[in-house]
Amino acid sequence: MTFAFFNSTFFDQAVLGITPILLAALAGTLSERVGLFNIALEGQMLVGAFAAIAGSHFGGSLAAGVFAAVAAGALFSGLLAVGSALLRGNDIVIGISLNLLAAGLTSFLLRTLFGVSGTFSDSAMQGLPRLTIPGVASLPVVGTALGHQNALVYLSWGLVVAIAVFLNRTPWGMRLRGVGEQPAAAIALGTSATQYRFFVTLLGGALCGLAGLELSLGSFTLFSENMTAGRGWIAVAAVMLGRARPLAVAGACVLFGLSDALGLRLQGEGLPNQITDSAPYIVTLAALVIAGLRQRRLSRIPI
Amino acid sequence: MAFLEMIDIVKRYPGVTANDHVDLAVERGEIHALMGENGAGKSTLMSILYGLQSPDEGYIRLKGSTLLLRSPLDAIAHGIGMVHQAFRLFESLSVWENVVYQREPRRGIFVDGARACAEVEELARRHGLPIDPKARVANLPVGVRQRLEILKALYREARVLILDEPTAVLTPAEVANLFTVLRSLAAAGCTILFVTHKLNEVMAVSHRITVLRDGRVSERLVTAQTDPGEIVRAMTGRAVTPQIPKQPRAPGHVKLEARGLVVEKDGRRAVDEVSLQVRGGEIVGIAGVAGNGQSELIEALIGLMPIARGSVLLAGRDVTCESVAVHRASGLSYIAEDRARTATAATASATDNLAMGFHRSAPLARNGLLQPKALRSWARGLIERFDIKIASEDTPVGTLSGGNLQKIVSARELAHNAPVLIAEQPTRGVDVGAVAFIHAELLNVRDRGHGVLLVSAELSEILALADRILVMYEGRIAAEFARAQADEATLGLYMAGGTRP
Amino acid sequence: MTVAAEVRAHLRRHVRPVLPMLGAVAVGFGVCGLIALWVGLSPSLMFRQLLEGAVEGPQLFETIARAVPLVGMTLAASVSLRAGIVNLGAEGQLALGGCATAVVALYFPAPDLVRLAMALTAGMVVGASYAALAAAGEIYAGVPVLLSTWLLTYPAKGLCGFLVRTSLRDPSTAWPSTARIAVGTRLGRLIPGTPINQGLLLIAAVAVAVIFIDRRSVVGFELRLRGLNERFARYGGVALRRQTLGVMLASGAIAGLVGAIMVLGSQFRYTDGALTAPQYAWSGTLAALLAGGEPAGSVIAAVLFAALQTGGFAMERSVQIPRVLTMVLQSVVILFLAMRGAIWKRP
Repeated sequence: MTFAFFNSTFFDQAVLGITPILLAALAGTLSERVGLFNIALEGQMLVGAFAAIAGSHFGGSLAAGVFAAVAAGALFSGLLAVGSALLRGNDIVIGISLNLLAAGLTSFLLRTLFGVSGTFSDSAMQGLPRLTIPGVASLPVVGTALGHQNALVYLSWGLVVAIAVFLNRTPWGMRLRGVGEQPAAAIALGTSATQYRFFVTLLGGALCGLAGLELSLGSFTLFSENMTAGRGWIAVAAVMLGRARPLAVAGACVLFGLSDALGLRLQGEGLPNQITDSAPYIVTLAALVIAGLRQRRLSRIPI
Repeated sequence: MAFLEMIDIVKRYPGVTANDHVDLAVERGEIHALMGENGAGKSTLMSILYGLQSPDEGYIRLKGSTLLLRSPLDAIAHGIGMVHQAFRLFESLSVWENVVYQREPRRGIFVDGARACAEVEELARRHGLPIDPKARVANLPVGVRQRLEILKALYREARVLILDEPTAVLTPAEVANLFTVLRSLAAAGCTILFVTHKLNEVMAVSHRITVLRDGRVSERLVTAQTDPGEIVRAMTGRAVTPQIPKQPRAPGHVKLEARGLVVEKDGRRAVDEVSLQVRGGEIVGIAGVAGNGQSELIEALIGLMPIARGSVLLAGRDVTCESVAVHRASGLSYIAEDRARTATAATASATDNLAMGFHRSAPLARNGLLQPKALRSWARGLIERFDIKIASEDTPVGTLSGGNLQKIVSARELAHNAPVLIAEQPTRGVDVGAVAFIHAELLNVRDRGHGVLLVSAELSEILALADRILVMYEGRIAAEFARAQADEATLGLYMAGGTRP
Repeated sequence: MTVAAEVRAHLRRHVRPVLPMLGAVAVGFGVCGLIALWVGLSPSLMFRQLLEGAVEGPQLFETIARAVPLVGMTLAASVSLRAGIVNLGAEGQLALGGCATAVVALYFPAPDLVRLAMALTAGMVVGASYAALAAAGEIYAGVPVLLSTWLLTYPAKGLCGFLVRTSLRDPSTAWPSTARIAVGTRLGRLIPGTPINQGLLLIAAVAVAVIFIDRRSVVGFELRLRGLNERFARYGGVALRRQTLGVMLASGAIAGLVGAIMVLGSQFRYTDGALTAPQYAWSGTLAALLAGGEPAGSVIAAVLFAALQTGGFAMERSVQIPRVLTMVLQSVVILFLAMRGAIWKRP
């Protein structure tokens, strides 16, 4: 392996790979902090990805696609909001069924609205345009990755900081944390736990919608069935690894994005794609195991 | 017309009327005690006053105007504050964050932490409730946490302060301190409602008393003009029940032993080198204010909590790092304090709950298969013997009242007839008749030659039942007494961390 | 008790619990009808095709044949779900089991029937072992089975895909797959002229065993109580870690068995993606969720889902309504039930 192995394409792909996972993980982070276990990130992302393509196609513009992705993500998450935040049903069952509903619904609509099965692609469709940050874009190796990306990538970085500040420095963030940690205490002081849970879920849906947008319109403009391919679950793992702290979660996402890009790179080197495709999942699992073992050793639970 | 009135309050739950046309009148600056046995309706009434629940009938008047309380936010807006029996604090947040929650001083869109800290410090100083605003709640001892709860109410400018069983977690010295604070608050014009079932406290600090029984007001009394006997009669409808006579008994072999036990929790030692022994034929009582390591000690003894150092021996066998299953097999049964979360499965039937622990061997199971008829008759037998009020043995136990649920747990664990029984708060929330029954059963266990380790926050219970008394303070055994040498005053001293003068 | 009171009590005990499920099914059908209308298809036509496609004539055998792997996967899911453990990796265990079965069936030197038995066993052992990895992850590192089983699915499918393209590849086939399994090592037809094979007997036996163990044995009692309140089970002396391992081994073994049956009974080779294409694992998990992990109810739900899917295929063939709509229907039913809190109300 030469030094050119980690070239600018590698980092560019890594950044592109990180973004949808990061956005979904931020949605998961907010859910976790408010006391909900959101494993429907996968389904919400898929809905957003499809809506982005559909909106762009039928609405005729990128803006329509963006709007559709956010709206669809939020609306779909409304099911989770009602079921989990409002009616207090079982998070896991609702999450799993929402994921499957999203897969079935998007496949169904792909066939009935676009008349194709498998993949719909339209090279004439406008994807997310890349912006350029003057000084950064000319850096060696990482220039393109950091300085020449679409707006959503930069938004996701900004959101990491914004959410961290929101949670730790603003009154509403503090109340949100209270609701998640000890709902009885929050309610006794007059905070509406239900309202916080509800809105966080809807906001999470919008974020996942954006994540889906990044997937379907971020580099190639296409939608294929189940294109999220488990990224929503990796986002769940990122939230767990980062203990729902925005900066740590972002770090976990970077780890996974890099392993994803590594997998693609190794594929380019000739390794079979069945093995390389598994790279991010194996890395995720290894990270979880290592973190868990460390935790065990620290609190000395007898084996 | 009184300052605060609750008029004709009715609150019904499925199967029981918690408040049955209750009237309450309190004057300004008064310390008013609300008394009654467990289940009399006191907590329900106060949660209505605080807006946590709404009454089915009746209304509340403050300073002559009717209040509509849809949530605690409304109650707080009208100057009503509440200190709950089980503290509602955010463990990972600091003291000042807990105090200002939902009313944070701001600088722009950010929380002004510095100003909040200063305000909390000033408030604490003014009311004689010393506290460190920056401390994390998780590190605070119980007595300080209660100060925090009161500060929360005062920060919201409460003119009516409700305290629900506030002294359950305090040492006698802290109780006296609390009363001083309450008196000064009352003198400054704050109206205080004090829910309790403890006679001596009511006599010490209240001006007037309203006694509830079975959801109705049974008596309204003026403290200075009444006596404990009259209050008890009003609470129970009976005279004070006499103590159950206890036969003296020579203790036998050591059945349960802990040696130098250390249990760690949240970075500190919850149990700090505790050694104790329980012999057959004796009841060892552990007295101490809740939160001094008793729960952790018990969980370590039963195998629910990891042990950092030391050992636990059951009938001579070292079971230190073993699972609960091994402990039970070695002859230990355990009436757990947390009956809803730990000691029962709410959605399972009484049959299932009563079978747990027995379900592996005859007569309830043979060759790995359950025997349905045996399970039923086992359940029915226990239900009858313990007079558990339940529709049938198939009914899920989640529907039962606290007292009946406690009976399920006690019935099951006592039926094990194990050489060692650990009983943790065995009569919490149980009505007086059942308390006597459970006490008799515990004495029965002892008389049969088994050992009992009793943990209770009720000193009267410990003094009534225990042969030997240990006092726990801050994770250590502070003192040990034979029953004859112990009295409430001395125990109270050690419970507060004092030493023999 | 009076007759009226007895009837009421009987209704309360048996009919009441089923009502939410029926309501959810009604909502599911309603939603699908609306979706159909929205895209310009006729709901009544759709439902009629669905029904006929499921049970009319030879379609009934089709349904039964489909029910075999579906019921198998739902049993795999319900075994762990009963204890409150969610095995989302059944698909990976299924694939690995099927692949291992094909390898043994093709290359293990032994007389036919022995090789058949070994192949079935291999499928179960491999599926069980893979599931045990997730159990170990939770026991030793606290990684939730829910997450680890899902993550492990990808390497499992990847490995099978890789093997079937390299060392196991039969070059004469267009699609990556192994060689064809000899007639002597297959599971024969149970009812001639239908797609139903002897795998039905195996799955039926597993179903009976699971239901019996769940209802009548000590093991089943401990599983059920753990699912209701894990802390209570631990407090009552149930060995939780051993139970986690046991449950995952059983779940993985059943999933592996289903893979083996699919390979030996209907496909007669291991083809990349063929075992997972019908999505039996997901439908099986949904059926188990619908029944709250209770095995008998799960089996019934699985049979209904099999009927739904067969009907869906027929519906797609005759009126070109995409059959994924049946997946939508299944998901909506579960979702509605969960939202009503009928399935495992949050404590």
